[in-house]
Amino acid sequence: MAMKNQINPWLASNVWLLVLGMLPAFLLLAALIYFTAWAFSFSFTDLELVGRKSVNWSWVGFENYVRLWTRKGFLDALWTTVIFTFFSAIVGQSVLGFLLAGTLRTTKSNLRSFIEVAIMLGWLLPDIVAAFLWSATTSQTGLINNLIITPLGFKPVNFISEFALPVVTIANIWKGTAWSYLLFSAALDSVSREVVEAAKVDGATPFQRIWLVILPIIRPHIATNMLFITIWTFTYFPLIYALTGGGPGRQSETLAIFMYKQSFGTGKLGYGSAISVAMLLIVGALSLIYLRLLREPK
Amino acid sequence: MSDVQLTGVHKSYGNVPVLHGVDLTIKSGEFVVFVGPSGCGKSTLLRMIAGLEHITGGEVKIGGKVVNDVPSPQRGIAMVFQSYALYPHMSVYDNMAFGLKLAKTPKAEVDQRVREAARILQIEPYLDRMPKALSGGQRQRVAIGRAIVRQPKVFLFDEPLSNLDAALRGQTRVEIAKLHDTLDATMIYVTHDQVEAMTLADRIVVLNAGRIEQVGTPLELYRHPVNTFVAGFIANHTMNFVNVTPKGSSLTLPGGKTIATTNPQVAKAASLGVRPEHLGLTDVASAQFTGTIEVIEQFGEYALIHVLLADGNHLTVKLDGAPDLHLHTEVHVGLDPAVVHLFDAEGRALRSV
Ligand SMILES: Nc1ncnc2c1ncn2[C@@H]1O[C@H](COP(=O)(O)OP(=O)(O)OP(=O)(O)O)[C@@H](O)[C@H]1O
Ligand SMILES: [Mg+2]
Repeated sequence: MAMKNQINPWLASNVWLLVLGMLPAFLLLAALIYFTAWAFSFSFTDLELVGRKSVNWSWVGFENYVRLWTRKGFLDALWTTVIFTFFSAIVGQSVLGFLLAGTLRTTKSNLRSFIEVAIMLGWLLPDIVAAFLWSATTSQTGLINNLIITPLGFKPVNFISEFALPVVTIANIWKGTAWSYLLFSAALDSVSREVVEAAKVDGATPFQRIWLVILPIIRPHIATNMLFITIWTFTYFPLIYALTGGGPGRQSETLAIFMYKQSFGTGKLGYGSAISVAMLLIVGALSLIYLRLLREPK
Repeated sequence: MSDVQLTGVHKSYGNVPVLHGVDLTIKSGEFVVFVGPSGCGKSTLLRMIAGLEHITGGEVKIGGKVVNDVPSPQRGIAMVFQSYALYPHMSVYDNMAFGLKLAKTPKAEVDQRVREAARILQIEPYLDRMPKALSGGQRQRVAIGRAIVRQPKVFLFDEPLSNLDAALRGQTRVEIAKLHDTLDATMIYVTHDQVEAMTLADRIVVLNAGRIEQVGTPLELYRHPVNTFVAGFIANHTMNFVNVTPKGSSLTLPGGKTIATTNPQVAKAASLGVRPEHLGLTDVASAQFTGTIEVIEQFGEYALIHVLLADGNHLTVKLDGAPDLHLHTEVHVGLDPAVVHLFDAEGRALRSV
């Protein structure tokens, strides 16, 4: 009894309090398992949102999964998602975030505060507001055309329909860089100044100091960051949907939008579930790779 | 040639001056120790020699060549940092080999130099370990090893032993002394530790608030400090100071007793300094001070007793062995006029010769 009290003085002394405290966690866990199991089960059915098959659905085995590979939509959306994730998150946000963190930490000026506020704004703005801003900026009558393209004597370009995926990618870089910036700022703070100076005395050029000393030291932070932003970007929905709706055509249709359209546009809940399970597996596999990276090399 | 010459070296951070003109010549092969209170600019000076800190004004020469604008690696220096600053993601071997590899040294030579340094420092068994798996003392050896393999003309140490425990510090101190003997390189060493300064240095540089107070051999500084600052700073146990009033060729001490002195500048004397080891207990008749014992610090080999005088002054007296004394008892303290230091009102020493 004495031991118990030592471990957790006031919680452990009252079992009911303990149960009460853990209840929210249990409920959350139960809900998670329930929804995952739900999606998993219905991915083997032909359930639809409305009509006859919303009530009289039947098991169809792996038919939905076969369709992922045989019908066009899924693989195209997967490719779009890979491009989008690679360029906006892995290249854009993380490289830009690292460069900003690296250069700004030595500057102690108003410029730093200005840039920090600017990138934080992108992060804090609601997706829908951000989408509106970007669409207003890049449309045929938008800011870029009015300020740059037209004055230079060119015909206005409708960026959002002619370069949908690049615009969405850049918008997401703008939106998500703050996270990488904050994470890398903290990571760089954890690198001892003397270690970097030792490398300098040892004759390392600035590039070698980054590549051979700083980056290896913050490797776990890089992997953590990759893990987060890959998961987020891979399943990212609102900004793209609000900006382009996946269009024009299917140019900016990522998996999240494809799934949404199949499930709620076309109403094929069974197929939509299969898409979401597939997304879950892909993201899970990527996470495993990153978690490997997180571990110390032998 | 690996002498280091500082001429009028200034340093400011923004418009805050930190070093106000330092002139110093360090001879080739000399072991020079920088001491001074925290924040006086020791590290800053060392880092300017290392090329890690921009030189605001003045000139730094290494081996006769102005290096103000020469990048660190080309200065022929190696630095050992207080925090060891080992590369945490590299093995001990790679830590030591890093600089050589960057300099595109042939592999065989890298290997030979690393193993030679490891042998000198007795860290051969750990070459494949990561720094994380080493004790503080072992890490410090690796850091020294990393400096040695570069075969620098000048070694720079910034408080290299301050993270080690007392026993290890003593041991490593002796090893650094041996190393200086073996390598015959110039060494500049920053420390807080009186013992390190006294035992390692060929010459000690006492810094205070961005200025050099005195440069000299440990014994010179101990015997002839130029001012009260150096007198109070150097040596293990702080010097005692009491105010005095000159009277002819003798001095009146607080408490009324007088001592005779041969110092020709006695008329300017304002205070008298005497080290604890130069005070002793005597009888009433020959004593200069009388007071009560406030604290006894017993070290075994010797004891320090803190005496409160009637006028409120304090004296520290060092007594050999374990004297049989009791707190709050009255004692009579005598001094030897031959080893006292006299200072004028500005704290400058009045040299007797
Ligand atoms: N990057 C900096 N910016 C502004 N001031 C600094 C900077 N680095 C050091 N200083 C100031 O310069 C002075 C000297 O610092 P320095 O580190 O040389 O002291 P130190 O003698 O090595 O002290 P310690 O014994 O505590 O290591 C200090 O007053 C410190 O506040
Ligand atoms: Mg220092």
